[in-house]
Amino acid sequence: MSVINFEFRNEVLKHNASLSYCYQCSTCSGGCPVALITEGKYNPRKIIEEAILGLQEKLVNEQDPNPWLCSTCQKCVELCPQKVELTEIFTLIKNQCFEKGKFPEAFSAQGQAVLEFGIAIPYSKAIISRREKLGLPSINTAPVEEIQTLLKETKFDKNITRGGD
Amino acid sequence: MSYDLFLGCVIPARLPYLEASARKVFEKLGIILKDVDGFSCCPDPTGIELIDHKTWLALGARNLSLCNNNGGVISFCSGCVETLKGVNYFINKDITVKKEVNKYLQKVGKVYEGNTAVKHFAEVLYENLDKVKETVEKPLEGFKVAVHYGCHYLRPSEIIEWDDPFEPVTVDEIVEALGAESVDYDLKLECCGNPLDKSDKDLSLQMIDNKLDAIQKAGANCVVVVCPACYQQYEFNQRELNKKNGTEYNLPIFYLSELVALAFGFKPQELGLNFHRVRPNALFENVGFKV
Amino acid sequence: MDIPSKSALIIGGGIAGIQAALDLADMGIQVNMVEKKPCIGGRMAQLDKTFPTNDCSICILAPKLSECYRHHNITLYSYSEVQKVEGSAGNFSAEILKRARFIKEDACINCGLCAEKCPMRVDDEFDRELRKRRAVYMYYLQGVPSVMTIDKEKCLWFTKNACRICEKTCERDAIDFDQQDETIKINNIGSIIVATGYNLIEDINKEVLKNYGYGKFRNVLTALEFERLESASGPQGGHIKRFSDNETPKKIAFLQCIGSRSDRVEKYCSSICCMYTTKEAMIAYEHDNELENYVFYIDMRAGGKGFQSFLKRGENEYNIKYIKSKIAQITIDEKENPIIVYENLDTGEVKQIQVDLVVLATCIVPPQGIDKLAEVLGIELNDYHFIKTPPFISVETSKNGIFTCGCVHEPMDIPRSVAEASGAAARAAEVIRGG
Repeated sequence: MSVINFEFRNEVLKHNASLSYCYQCSTCSGGCPVALITEGKYNPRKIIEEAILGLQEKLVNEQDPNPWLCSTCQKCVELCPQKVELTEIFTLIKNQCFEKGKFPEAFSAQGQAVLEFGIAIPYSKAIISRREKLGLPSINTAPVEEIQTLLKETKFDKNITRGGD
Repeated sequence: MSYDLFLGCVIPARLPYLEASARKVFEKLGIILKDVDGFSCCPDPTGIELIDHKTWLALGARNLSLCNNNGGVISFCSGCVETLKGVNYFINKDITVKKEVNKYLQKVGKVYEGNTAVKHFAEVLYENLDKVKETVEKPLEGFKVAVHYGCHYLRPSEIIEWDDPFEPVTVDEIVEALGAESVDYDLKLECCGNPLDKSDKDLSLQMIDNKLDAIQKAGANCVVVVCPACYQQYEFNQRELNKKNGTEYNLPIFYLSELVALAFGFKPQELGLNFHRVRPNALFENVGFKV
Repeated sequence: MDIPSKSALIIGGGIAGIQAALDLADMGIQVNMVEKKPCIGGRMAQLDKTFPTNDCSICILAPKLSECYRHHNITLYSYSEVQKVEGSAGNFSAEILKRARFIKEDACINCGLCAEKCPMRVDDEFDRELRKRRAVYMYYLQGVPSVMTIDKEKCLWFTKNACRICEKTCERDAIDFDQQDETIKINNIGSIIVATGYNLIEDINKEVLKNYGYGKFRNVLTALEFERLESASGPQGGHIKRFSDNETPKKIAFLQCIGSRSDRVEKYCSSICCMYTTKEAMIAYEHDNELENYVFYIDMRAGGKGFQSFLKRGENEYNIKYIKSKIAQITIDEKENPIIVYENLDTGEVKQIQVDLVVLATCIVPPQGIDKLAEVLGIELNDYHFIKTPPFISVETSKNGIFTCGCVHEPMDIPRSVAEASGAAARAAEVIRGG
């Protein structure tokens, strides 16, 4: 059974008031490339509908539909006749999933790399020599301690080390 | 004209040959790109932002705080551009966001007011289209190019503020300025599927399969992209799809800067075209492009 | 009954203006009617049928047109525009520009010989440019006044100093190339009724239709274009064929809310589209009983007398399938068949459907030229540039003595336009008789 969580609903609305403009016309689901190839298993309209209804359990724990299947192509945002900022709302939902440790493993890898190196892809020896051969300059990236200080402030370090599904 | 250069992660640390072509093109156009020390990951608008919006804002704002060029900052990557433009957008839209972000930045002795202008390298090329045309030494005759704009180069238009989100023209016009033909194809504005790679590999492959199929049907002989995520999606998956589905994709994938560089007369060798998985040699031969 | 010394000025000769004119004229009030187009009749003349009775539109309208023309209390200024209005309630004066049609109205009998011989082919505005007319033309078949007009912009005599074949052909010497535009001054106007109707979104903003491939895909039409195709006097004589291959469509998709109910285009509901779409689908089915009709909608708005049962009849008797889903985009296949992606909101499934023809229910927008007219009249417009009217007395404008009716102040259907016209006429008569 679905339980309505009014606090969740209010939180989404506080974060993004455009949610309340949605009139469930399904322009988003009809324009979504992932909805098309999954025949509606992934469905942006349904995510918005569940957010309006405050069905946090369904969205964050059951992930039905799975918000991680959004390809972030932003077509829905451009098409929505009510200018609902769908992807921003999805981000908020996915952020909640992250805080609960319910996110795909690949995101964890990227996050850990940023925490460890300040960049998502550390420079390998092979790449460094390839860069030299191509006549490219060496790159001085961010001081790692500085980045780690920031990530501690945003509590990213704790959430990421807990890992994803 | 000069810009601070934001390289990001994927291009310099995985696909440095794309960076080489871009640097050469801008040098030839007399546009100065200044390297800046101390950048972190942008961070990825299809990665870090989705798991932690405030971390994305904080790191993005920190990066922007390091830029001090009047011309603003330029990037070769649509993802980095979306992040940097997006951070500006959110900071300038809501004063509480700006305050919160600066509260984080304060811990590392930095401040960001939201004033650094951000540009995609294709934007700057388009703004200098006449100069690009003048600089062409070897027109790309016979190149039938499928332009893949990618999503983040265009959308959300409220953040990107560049070109039409559904009927873009800029990259097509640049491609045509090089003497190549831009071939219209079905699904042109659709996503390549790269971001889905992190959550559902099969769906991601299905999306790029659909795109490649449409491009092949339209009779294009190569693809041009302006984003390293799209580049990898097109480049790295053709062989896999052929193995999996028995398709026969063999489309050279060019970065826009590579096409421009070729038209400017640079040699494939100095551009590192040999690092491409789908080699463009056969295309060059077929269209009689002397290298 | 006293004959009032003051007359009424009615701007716009569509069904609303006509009804108001007839009401006032029957009360013994002198009416001056000004119509911009060569003939009165307005949008209703372009329609094949009217909902919810599916009566023939021109059959209802035509008697009113001729009544308007021959009523001794009505003076008709067609092909004319109001240029200047002065004064106040009870005592307005107006200047009317009567454009030269280069035809002697009292001589022309609309025999059509001139048009037969005219060598110029021009897009026919009345038929939404779906066919060509000549430079000398009848605005539409049953138009009133029933006289020809020469299109100065396109006529070879005016553009290249050549031809004049029409002049030689006309057996009644009705062609007059020396005719000049006239400015006519009317004094003693007691009150004014503005009934200049509406345009459609495609007339002012084709950008919105981009996602639906309108203009690019030949099998995507707007509703008014489709209406003309259904009409027996229209470009296809009422036998609907696709423009891509001349085939009869067997599957038609009607897409609702094109331009309306959108924060990006027009925020208001266009009010008539749910019903006219159902009507158009019914008529198409009457032409061909094998037809499958699909209506993609956000909400079906059937708030009028007999409207709900009209929808039910559509569903039960005319093979219309109503699908709750707003369509985002259209693509086409290699045979130019439109392909629509939609969500079935009952099941959450996202599906594709291939159809033969798409009809876009484009929304009503304020008529072109309304800003200038409002300035001339000194009346206010609302945020959408319709005429501003108070919430409870919909026929009043912001200025005493000036009334309005029909779509120029908000989207509405024919019965309501007619009812409002009678309301506006009654209010105008009050001012005239009181003054």
